[in-house]
Amino acid sequence: MGATFLRSFLVQGAWNYHTMLGTGFAFALLPGLRRLYRQDPDALEAAIRRHTEHFNAHPYLTGVALGAALRLEQEGADEGTVRRFKTAVRGPLGSLGDRLVWASWLPAVALASLVIYWLGAGWAWSSAFFLVVYNAGHLALRVWGLRAGWSAGREVAGRLRAAGLGELAERLGPVGAVLSGLLCGVLGAGPLADAGDGGLWVALASAGFVLGLAAGHRAWRAAAVGTVVAVAAVVVVSSLPGGAG
Amino acid sequence: MPIVLFRVDERLIHGQVVIGWGHALRPERYLVVDDDLAESAWEQELYALAATGVDVEFLTVGGARDRLDGWRADPTRSILLTRDVRSMARLGEGGALADEQVNLGGLHHEPGKSELLPYLFVTREDREELRRLADSGAEVSARDLPDASRVPLADLIEA
Repeated sequence: MGATFLRSFLVQGAWNYHTMLGTGFAFALLPGLRRLYRQDPDALEAAIRRHTEHFNAHPYLTGVALGAALRLEQEGADEGTVRRFKTAVRGPLGSLGDRLVWASWLPAVALASLVIYWLGAGWAWSSAFFLVVYNAGHLALRVWGLRAGWSAGREVAGRLRAAGLGELAERLGPVGAVLSGLLCGVLGAGPLADAGDGGLWVALASAGFVLGLAAGHRAWRAAAVGTVVAVAAVVVVSSLPGGAG
Repeated sequence: MPIVLFRVDERLIHGQVVIGWGHALRPERYLVVDDDLAESAWEQELYALAATGVDVEFLTVGGARDRLDGWRADPTRSILLTRDVRSMARLGEGGALADEQVNLGGLHHEPGKSELLPYLFVTREDREELRRLADSGAEVSARDLPDASRVPLADLIEA
């Protein structure tokens, strides 16, 4: 398990359009497969072959599939079942990981570290904050995933549902929104405000924040257009002579 | 509005369907038509995970054929998915999908398959099933996402 965990960090190392994570998946699984099929080189080769097939998922959640695949192999599940499991699990792991990590966790922690920077902590502290907090979540997710997969096998859907990762992603979304609002406020009240025309910036940022809160969550097109117009207005105003200087 | 999309996609309920087509069509239900999946509870659990807040039903091809007219009359907006061409062609037997748009969304590469589009790889059997589906009256075309261009079947395989 330990070796598979370490190797799971390299799961994208041989990414390609045909098998995507396939090669990396088999590489990560290899220590476990070697142990299972120690007595039977032919079965080992067949197992490696079936695990180099096409696979895709979010890299941080691939451990769920690795753990469960190893459990299926250990239970002696037939090749068809293993293949069907991997086919079924890649979609949920991909979309769950995208929503949770790329769309929620990464922006939320990045915004938090920016807020910390603007509050006066130096770049070193805010970068360290980002790296430590982001990767604490990242590693926790990887460890949890591999263990959940290994203990639940093909029934891992229940674990994923019970863990509420999707709900967590939805709760992190507003946190990111509030942090970007905070960042706008800090920006407006910061050095720019001292430049003489900070009041305009604060007003624009506040208006943008209110507009975003009121309309942003529905993601209808007019809101997107409004946001673009507002940002463009800020850029134009700042480029006028005597603007943000 | 009954069935808003008929789609062949090996990945069934996944990002492109939930985000791409989901935002454009606002489905209230996914109908997954597959004889094997209809019998397998643990696989259903996994596929249903990706459908956030939208109901999912799993049916055999035969079961789906019996209910097609009911779904068409039902106000619930449904996306109907199969993971292979064969299930969709069987669903359309006897003209059950006549004049319906059938969308080819994703069949991945495997040894022995030939490439029609970067997201569409087919076996010889798939080609025959595609012809059978088109001959039964369905308008078949490929399109991975709603804002991509639609490629008619006639441009992909010779008739």
